[in-house]
Amino acid sequence: MRARSEPAWKPKKDLTVLNRDIPRVDGPEKVTGAAKYTHDIRLPRMVYARFWIHPYPRLNLTKVDVAPALKVKGVVYVKALKEAGEDVRYQGADAAIAVVAAETPEAAEDGLRAMIIEAEELYPPMVTAEQALDESSPKIGRGGKNVNVREERGDEEAANIALDTVDVLIEESYSLPVQHHVCLETHGSVVDYRGGDEATVYTSIQNVSGTNASAARALELDADKVNVITHHMGGGFGSKFGIGIEGSTACRIAKELGRPVHLMLTRGDEFLMGGNRSGSQQTIVGGASKDGRLVALVAKADRFGGTGGGAFAGLPYIYKVENSFFESRSIYTATDSSRAMRAPGHPQASFGMESMVDELAFAVGIDPLTFRKQNLEDPVYHRQLDRVAKEIGWDAHPNKTEPGAVDGTRQVGIGFAISQWGSRSRPGSQCEVRIEPDGRITSTTGTQDLGTGSRTYVAAIVAEEFGLEVGDVTARIGESAFPTSAGSGGSVTTGCSAPAIKDAAHNAREAFEARIAPMLDAEPGQLVWRGGEVISAQDPQKSLTWKQACAALGSEPLSAMGEWQEHLRSQGVHGAQAAKVEVDTVTGELKVLKMVFIQDCGLVLNRLAARSQVNGGQIQALSYGLLEARVHDPDLGLMLTDNLDDYKIAGVQEIPEMISIMDDDDDRLAVMGMAEANCIPGHGAIANALFNACGLRLRDLPLTADKIIMGLSDRS
Amino acid sequence: MAEPKDPAPTRDTLSRRTFLKSAGGVAAGGMLTSQLAAEPEATPLKATAGRTLAGDVTIELDLNGRKHEVTVEPRTTLLSALRHRIEPPHTGTKEVCDQGNCGACTVIVDGRPAYACMLLAVDLVGRKLRTVEGLGSVENLSPVQAAFCEHDALMCGFCTPGFVVATTACLERRPDADLATIKRELSGNLCRCGTYPFIFDAAETARAAMAPKKGGK
Repeated sequence: MRARSEPAWKPKKDLTVLNRDIPRVDGPEKVTGAAKYTHDIRLPRMVYARFWIHPYPRLNLTKVDVAPALKVKGVVYVKALKEAGEDVRYQGADAAIAVVAAETPEAAEDGLRAMIIEAEELYPPMVTAEQALDESSPKIGRGGKNVNVREERGDEEAANIALDTVDVLIEESYSLPVQHHVCLETHGSVVDYRGGDEATVYTSIQNVSGTNASAARALELDADKVNVITHHMGGGFGSKFGIGIEGSTACRIAKELGRPVHLMLTRGDEFLMGGNRSGSQQTIVGGASKDGRLVALVAKADRFGGTGGGAFAGLPYIYKVENSFFESRSIYTATDSSRAMRAPGHPQASFGMESMVDELAFAVGIDPLTFRKQNLEDPVYHRQLDRVAKEIGWDAHPNKTEPGAVDGTRQVGIGFAISQWGSRSRPGSQCEVRIEPDGRITSTTGTQDLGTGSRTYVAAIVAEEFGLEVGDVTARIGESAFPTSAGSGGSVTTGCSAPAIKDAAHNAREAFEARIAPMLDAEPGQLVWRGGEVISAQDPQKSLTWKQACAALGSEPLSAMGEWQEHLRSQGVHGAQAAKVEVDTVTGELKVLKMVFIQDCGLVLNRLAARSQVNGGQIQALSYGLLEARVHDPDLGLMLTDNLDDYKIAGVQEIPEMISIMDDDDDRLAVMGMAEANCIPGHGAIANALFNACGLRLRDLPLTADKIIMGLSDRS
Repeated sequence: MAEPKDPAPTRDTLSRRTFLKSAGGVAAGGMLTSQLAAEPEATPLKATAGRTLAGDVTIELDLNGRKHEVTVEPRTTLLSALRHRIEPPHTGTKEVCDQGNCGACTVIVDGRPAYACMLLAVDLVGRKLRTVEGLGSVENLSPVQAAFCEHDALMCGFCTPGFVVATTACLERRPDADLATIKRELSGNLCRCGTYPFIFDAAETARAAMAPKKGGK
């Protein structure tokens, strides 16, 4: 039944559940180990599958003999995915030569070791930009080229003319390495097919509603007979939109064997083929007037996305520049394709832009906070920068327009950066709210919880509508058989699904009121839902408990669907970052002391989970800035960082004091996703803080002690 | 604060390099039998014959206060035994790196934290093993588990069991641990979502909840 009135978010002051700290509803399951992830699914007669992946990127296969694996105890299935004579064109999925399935994971590993696979390695391996750009190298990229111009924006001639007029001109290059998502749960699926025409596919995926069709295709079953389940997932960060070769292979093995198949990538395979954030090399020429205006910018950015095109947000990034030209190219290598990763392209563009802005600020002698505000039109950034400056202690900091000295002591510096994210959403998501006569109430939608806390607001929005506690509502998510919900990419999840949940709750309430209003001598719409009761607005003496009201439904549950409603969501996130660091000018040790980030996002549904997301974004940026880099041996072609020992991510000891602020001056009474802006500016702010501390400008991430000590010795 | 003296090398006292060396040694057959012989309680091995072990052997593990018969191979790690061999499977202990880098598989062995991926199941006969499942339940959370929920010290939750176990092992051994001690004890665990700040808050709340009650009140 359709609503007689439009659903609307209550003003913040009237909310009793939302916009507060809500402990997540699946917390108890996750802290006790009861939560079942795809990795944890155990089924009768299940077999474990593993890929044989060649570590070298470019090969001509000369021998592929998988038969010996079948003699290994416990091995039940082997299949060559490529034959002798075929080529391997790039590192990762294309280098999966064979697959084995066995009764135990150990037996599957034995099976891999028994296979005989030989190949001629093609040289050069084409794993670096230098190899791709070398004229004599083979052409391996898209369209038979190693370089593609992807984007041109602005008037290069006009920008160059403007550059001639500036008071200060700086030309520098900035680079960022390839970053991995490092989802702690690797990619993979557990396919429950035991014959017949139906299957259940458990998979670690951030796109549950959009996956049953591809799983069904791989299983050669009808899409409506395949249920895709992701009740819990161990991170996605943009890398888990499709079931991939690992999912489709698991489906095919299950179909052939008629047995459930568990195929999760090993950690090493995950680094080789699980996706990445493209690296970037940028050359930026920037010019400013001596009163601190950004006059002109000419920027050229290369994206290193392996066989993929990579992502780059464009320059200038956010700041207003009077004349600008921007060109971006994709440089192809024979490595795993880049994928979407939390704010694709933005952390790269932000680092180049924020470094250049900072360099120009100090060059003209204006403090970097004032300089930024002078070149930002949106007042939101002014108030946000002022707030983080206050929290980080900028007023009392000595190095406003000159960096600290290299004098053999530990020096402290402060840096700033800003970010933006669209958080757009689109129609299509749906939700069902169902109230049972015994008082049970469920909120059901196909969305997924990557760790963001979406499951909690699936319940909390409904609890708010009926004056219940969050724990009174059961959230059911993560199945493709549930009402459709959008894939989680680009911070669209909240903007897509929350309006549908709100609409379903609203429709359920109106339908419920039509049923029970007569019992309270009231009109529908004249009831107040509060504290587990429904009360007549005219006569507060007349009320029913929730249980009494539900019992009045008789024998049939009440069910209402909700759809995405444009007016319940908004878009456009702004963020500002400050970072304070300490650098030891003798050893080069860099320690981040404090990070402060503020962002807006309209109506915050769950302040606790939102702060968690902001902490997490800042920490991922810190990690990218200080530690992370995919490294290849350019001659051997091997990835040297295919494990968590060599590929470092931030751990306990790197974590500074962190302040994560929701910008409550944002008065938009509508929802939007918020998990992207906060991972964009952190590394740029840290690099700026390093300069502010000791005058060393590092333009190549990560900011490791060896680069710092070399840079300091060059200066002195 | 002085470190307590421990008879067995563990994460606290062992450098990564010596740990890897000793784990590598254990994997070799000869050392395996001699180590088992040195364990006074390591007798329930049914398939033990001669000097080496091969194939399936049935052992008894003392897990979360209950005896579990489990059939393993000599090379089976505790992590694999927990996740793939024991019935019902104990999948709360997560596999993330399988080589001692990340702490997602942290368990408690005789009161001390250890990486289950770096231990062989056959070495653990007679040892008291505790996993995240043994600390509390959804209906009856342990103080550490309750504090993690209260402070949102988890996001995707995949590192969470390891952090819960490591925090528990820390606070049980060092009820007065300050934040620096807590951080050192948790340094062997990695999180990708970025839950660290709230884990620190949760650990401090749990410490207060677990503190022995003093005086009559």
